Amino acid sequence: MPPCAEPSNICSQSDWRHGDKLPIHRFLCTCETKPGVYREFTWRNSADVLVFRMDAKVKKQKKHQQKHSGPKAEKKKAKKQEGSVEEDGRKRNPKAFSVQSAVRMAKTFHRAQDIKTKKHHIPVVDRTPLEPPPVVIVVVGPPKVGKSTLIRCLIKNFTRQKLGDICGPVTIVSGKKRRLTFIECNNDINTMIDLAKVADLVLMLIDASFGFEMETFEFLNICQVHGFPRIMGVLTHLDSFKNNKSLRKTKKTLKHRFWTEVYQGAKLFYLSGMVYGEYQTQEVKNLGRFISVMKFRPLVWQTSHPYLLVDRMEDLTDLEQVRMDPKCDRTVSLYGYLRGAHLKNKGQVHIPGVGDFQVGDVGFLSDPCPLPDAQKKRALNEKERLLYAPMAGVGGLVYDKDAVYIDLPASHVNQLQEEARPTTELVQSLIDTHSTLDTKMAASKVSLFTGSATLDPTHISQHTREKEILEEQSVWDPTTNRERRKVIFTQEEGEEEDVSEEDDSEGSDQAEDEGDVECEEMAAGGAPPQKKQKLEAEGGRTGSCAELPVFADSEDELEMSEEEEEAGTPGDSGHSSEEEEDEESEDELGKQHSEGESEEEQEEEGALRWKEGLQQKAAEAFLRQQEAAPNLRKLVYGSVVEVTESEEEEEELGGLFRVSRPQKSKRLQANALDCSRFHADTGHDWDVQEVLDSIRDCFVTGKWEEDQDAATLLKQDEELYGDFEDLETGEVHVSQPQDAQDDDDGDEEPQVKMDDEEVQKNKRLEKKRRLKERFNSEYDDGDATYFDDLKEELQKQAELNRATFGDMDDESRVQYEGFRPGMYIRVEIGSLPCEFVTNFDPHYPIILGGLGSSEGNLGYLQMRLKKHRWYGRILKTKDPLIFSLGWRRFQTIPLFHMEDHNGRHRLLKYTPQHMHCGASIWGPITPQGSGFLAVQSVTGIKASFRIAATGVVLDLDKSVTIVKKLKLIGYPFKIFKNTCFVKGMFNTVLEVAKFEGASVRTVSGIRGQIKKALSSPAGAFRATFEDRLLMSDIVFLRSWYPVSVPQLYNPVTSLLLPAGQKDSWSGMRTLGQLKHDLGVRNKPNPDSLYKPVVRAPRRFNRLHIPKELQKALPFKSKPKQQQAKGKTPRDLQRPSVIREPHERKVAALLHALSTVHNYKRKNAHKVQHAKHKEFLQQKEKDEEAKLKRQREAKKKLYRVMGQKDQKKQRSSLKGASSDL
Amino acid sequence: MASHGLTYDGCNFFRQRLVLSTLSGKHVKIKNIRSRDDEPGLRDFEASFIRLLDKVTNGSRIEINQTGTVLFYQPGLLYGGPVEHDCNPQRSVGYYLEALLMLAPFMKTPLKATLKGVTNDPTDPTIDLLKSTALPLMKKFGIDGEAFEIKVVKRGMAPGGGGEVVFTCPVRKTIKPVQLTEPGKIKRIRGVAYSVRVSPQMGNRIVESARSVLNQFLPDIYIYTDHMKGTNSGKSPGFGLTLVAETLNGCFLSAEMSSTPQGQGDPVLPEDLGKNCAKLLLEEVYRGGCVDSSNQSLALLLMTLGQQDVSKVLLGPLSPYTIEFLRHIRDFFQIMFKIEVQTPLEDERKGGDKVLMTCVGVGYSRELKHSQDR
Repeated sequence: MPPCAEPSNICSQSDWRHGDKLPIHRFLCTCETKPGVYREFTWRNSADVLVFRMDAKVKKQKKHQQKHSGPKAEKKKAKKQEGSVEEDGRKRNPKAFSVQSAVRMAKTFHRAQDIKTKKHHIPVVDRTPLEPPPVVIVVVGPPKVGKSTLIRCLIKNFTRQKLGDICGPVTIVSGKKRRLTFIECNNDINTMIDLAKVADLVLMLIDASFGFEMETFEFLNICQVHGFPRIMGVLTHLDSFKNNKSLRKTKKTLKHRFWTEVYQGAKLFYLSGMVYGEYQTQEVKNLGRFISVMKFRPLVWQTSHPYLLVDRMEDLTDLEQVRMDPKCDRTVSLYGYLRGAHLKNKGQVHIPGVGDFQVGDVGFLSDPCPLPDAQKKRALNEKERLLYAPMAGVGGLVYDKDAVYIDLPASHVNQLQEEARPTTELVQSLIDTHSTLDTKMAASKVSLFTGSATLDPTHISQHTREKEILEEQSVWDPTTNRERRKVIFTQEEGEEEDVSEEDDSEGSDQAEDEGDVECEEMAAGGAPPQKKQKLEAEGGRTGSCAELPVFADSEDELEMSEEEEEAGTPGDSGHSSEEEEDEESEDELGKQHSEGESEEEQEEEGALRWKEGLQQKAAEAFLRQQEAAPNLRKLVYGSVVEVTESEEEEEELGGLFRVSRPQKSKRLQANALDCSRFHADTGHDWDVQEVLDSIRDCFVTGKWEEDQDAATLLKQDEELYGDFEDLETGEVHVSQPQDAQDDDDGDEEPQVKMDDEEVQKNKRLEKKRRLKERFNSEYDDGDATYFDDLKEELQKQAELNRATFGDMDDESRVQYEGFRPGMYIRVEIGSLPCEFVTNFDPHYPIILGGLGSSEGNLGYLQMRLKKHRWYGRILKTKDPLIFSLGWRRFQTIPLFHMEDHNGRHRLLKYTPQHMHCGASIWGPITPQGSGFLAVQSVTGIKASFRIAATGVVLDLDKSVTIVKKLKLIGYPFKIFKNTCFVKGMFNTVLEVAKFEGASVRTVSGIRGQIKKALSSPAGAFRATFEDRLLMSDIVFLRSWYPVSVPQLYNPVTSLLLPAGQKDSWSGMRTLGQLKHDLGVRNKPNPDSLYKPVVRAPRRFNRLHIPKELQKALPFKSKPKQQQAKGKTPRDLQRPSVIREPHERKVAALLHALSTVHNYKRKNAHKVQHAKHKEFLQQKEKDEEAKLKRQREAKKKLYRVMGQKDQKKQRSSLKGASSDL
Repeated sequence: MASHGLTYDGCNFFRQRLVLSTLSGKHVKIKNIRSRDDEPGLRDFEASFIRLLDKVTNGSRIEINQTGTVLFYQPGLLYGGPVEHDCNPQRSVGYYLEALLMLAPFMKTPLKATLKGVTNDPTDPTIDLLKSTALPLMKKFGIDGEAFEIKVVKRGMAPGGGGEVVFTCPVRKTIKPVQLTEPGKIKRIRGVAYSVRVSPQMGNRIVESARSVLNQFLPDIYIYTDHMKGTNSGKSPGFGLTLVAETLNGCFLSAEMSSTPQGQGDPVLPEDLGKNCAKLLLEEVYRGGCVDSSNQSLALLLMTLGQQDVSKVLLGPLSPYTIEFLRHIRDFFQIMFKIEVQTPLEDERKGGDKVLMTCVGVGYSRELKHSQDR
């Protein structure tokens, strides 16, 4: 068909860039669609005319031509003009826009307001940390849907690294402000539940070629219960669709189903096809972009609890201990980013799948995957694209608090590691060292001065030991020691001792300090033994004098600390440790006055102890105020940094030095009067004027601060608002001082004209600013609502929260506010079961969920529960069920109940089919309103849909009030009128006594009351009824019997199971399972069995009608009482006659004769009958004739009579006319 | 479950431990209660206190050994509701009420406690003091409502008692964080001079003498005299004075003094009592802060149990009771306060050093709300 022999030529002519490769027919096709091009082409080449003709046949569509004249154009014009007029409907038809009905207007207004208010959420304080933890992205989906591939692709997209096996969480830096933690969720329901609780974003993978699978819906339902994280669907396997239409259709149906589950318009991503086993780069990139800009809603549970998604686990147990007892409890440290709320040290945590534990020790480590430093650039460079996945074997070197772990990489990981960590050389060198540090140290020698003898470590140790001994002796001087113990803040005693133990060089100062403390205590107690104190102090001082360098040292530090304090960081815990020696001299609380006194007295004592006085004074003058802060802190909390250590040492001390006195004094205080009142014995004499003056400014009558003093404020106002321009009149009011200034300016005008201009300009600017301020304030005020105020308040609080501890270093900050979310922390937990370590499988997530203050306790929980509509069966009361509530998964035995209208909780045997019911369990106390879900078993996938029920916690209590109905049945054994004795309901008199006054009822509905027990038979009682009972009646008593909830709490310990069997946890079996397993079958109810039906014949009694009634009845209704004649008795029976032959003959003859006679009579009668008939006919005829005749006669007669009448009339008429 | 408990020695700070235990849910064991004493074991008033705790909670477990020297307390859930309690007259109602004030906002149902016993005695904060200082303090934390009051139905002096106090408190889901850093200047002083079973003139004499001291600072002083008669006057005679200074920022500082109980020491002249009480108030003003010394621990507790936000409060010097309380808070809630001392400037005449306490709340939410009030 194509005639062109040289397609290349054509192409070049038509100026296309397709080149030679283009197939010719396609070229033609394109030509068809672009006729313009074609024309040119044909015009140039005459050989192609044929083609042009062929193409001319193709229908060319006529172009639309707009009419410019004629009726259509007119119409259009008119319409256009009209439209412009119509635009302002308000003007055209003002009535339509006027207020028609005030009520309606109010309604619309209300509605508008309602809609507006509905959009508001209750504002919460923004507690997100400045550096938030990585976002947890959970990749969920049924098996073989492409979860690992997706994670791998995303990691590759963000970090340019390839990861082989994805086990455990993988943390990466995705942007300047965002880090991501990917974790894959396998198909085990335990994992799904755990990960749904920590997820920020869920990537839900769906195999589009297959459609939705149950796992997807199960996970969605789990999410719904535990707060809904962001969910994004990802459709994979889209390349398996050959047909484009079916692909589109599938996408649409899947999308709509997904939307109904999540929310309308939820994002669904399409990953079309794989390239070399990976998803298409562009699509992954898009997905990554979506993830990195996504915002997350704060979930209630997550924001109120600290939690950790553990990404690293180390076993710290002593290897020897493990060798001795392989089953011993393990000490384990877990690492991860803290999320949610602040974590306090020594808190309680739950590890889902393991159990509840006490946190042994928490510490924070440097961030292994830090965000890049703040720099103004767009993208991350390669170094900043970090990847951290210790469980997956990435990052060969990991640091701990006190150790460095070196992961010896397998050959295939080696490459990766080198990329990730440039420090491999160091690692290798570390690995290569064969001797330990200690041995090296022992081998090394140091020379202090050149040419001098080298020092051995043994020498050094000797020296230090000597020194220690010296110190300790000085501290434990027997004389001072004894004195000291007398008066102490008992709580500090131990700690101060510790300090003296710890600090080698400060024994002497210590002694002095304690002396001070004592003096104050004494002052508080009564007579201050000043002298003794002095002596002591002297002793202490001599000690310190002996060691001159120490004194100098302390002086230095004193100055240093002073400077530091002035720099403005008081209360820093870092100082408290540095300045212990000085601080402790100030160990007192709000008693500076007494101290002052003692100081004065000391000065009087004389110059002998001038050194001591100097130091005292120095301490007081420079440090009293500033030092008080760490002091107070130390006083209250002791040396907090090493709490545990000091405790240990205390114990040790107790072993070494047992002093009975301090303990005694401690006990004395321990048993002192418990009173909150603060008895001040400061000895202020409030009669003295100076003392009175010291609080003069606390009253409104005193002097005010500059910024609050009324006079100053007024003045300021004057300055600010004094001059203003009245805009209406144009008058300019200028305040007095300004005037004066102006005058001054006027004087100096020639000097500085430029200045004047500037002043003017400034003034204008100032005015503008003020106006703007005023406008702003007015504008805001007009719009401010309660909601806005609240929001503003919370905003302020959030700022305060950030600012308060923002400038502290982390070490001390964590002590005040706990470990804040976003920190990479290390949690040490002792006494974990050994299976946790031995059966560790990184594919299963370990979560450390912090518990609230009382969430570690057990109690009864009342919940509202509904069987899931997709779960196949209803649930049975007292069958064990596995709940997921809070962080926990546990098996417990629920009781289902309904609330009656009177508030009674009635036990149900089964959950209702499609309704909510109550459920009571024994379980961990969890805040009200938390959602839960229940599954029948976590083992494998047996059920089509695994989630059995969902619900919410309604109430917590330590007791339950569920009752079940109980009917007690008894039988009357003696009946008086309305009183009746009933037996069989109770067994003893006591039981009856309990039920005295209870109402009873019979089956027939007669109500009664239990009166009193009878002495015999046992358990019988007297009861009265509203009517007389029959012996056949059954009496029953309706009562409610309280049911107790079984106290079973069995945490699901799925993580302790051996690897590969972690989804096979089985707890207590249900009754049905037990019976099935043991082959027990219930005996059927004999009443329910089928038996042959035997029907007894029914008998009816006769109807008895009283005689009187019978008498009164009419005969018709009277019972017919004549009895049927019975058989006549034999004697009355007449004998039958037997005829003689002659008689028989006679009889036969007579019979014959009578027959003949009868026949004759019959015939005669027939004839007679006929004759009579004839006669009657004749008679009728005659009669008829007679009638006829008579009629004619009558006719004649009437005619005559008529004629006569006519004549008469006529004649009368005539007569009349003649008369006339 | 591994809910760990705490162990303490001795009976001091008995209430703190039990109250904090109840709030935190941690069980507590107190050993060596007066074990070396002539009368070892718990006293009657402590037993009475335990009974009161048992009444307001549900499911508490209390074990006391034979001699009463060891107490084990496993707290239940705070329930509340109407509670009637005969307080032991060894201690005044204030002893019990201080603990109830700490617990009441966190109950399941609003508390209505009727406490009978000694309303005023010299050792404990009296009912009038708590009424005029603790309630306004708690209001700052968002505990507010119509039914938030302490009502003195009958006044009973030590040692006989016979008084009756009704304390009602609404429940709150969360406690607001506060920033009480500026006490403000004292604008007025109010007070109650009470007397029962003595001459009604006593009250007037007290007022006169107290005014004579305080008038040097402030003209706005009004001291009510409260003389209860008949059945409302309890079983023992006595009198006393409570003074409250209110600042511009709504902070309350208080001082009080009661006559010595009948037959337990030298009788006090009302004039002396008035004067001394006024001086105590001045002392309290000298100490300063936004919270007076007897309510320090209450304020700190409410800060601790607030939302996870920063609270700040300025206190006077910490009392030993408060210091112990801070330690206990650390034990039970792992909360440490940042303690900063603020020293007044040289030329300022505003009393002694102040202590600025800062903490982040634990985010304690009332886990037990009634099913209806959601």
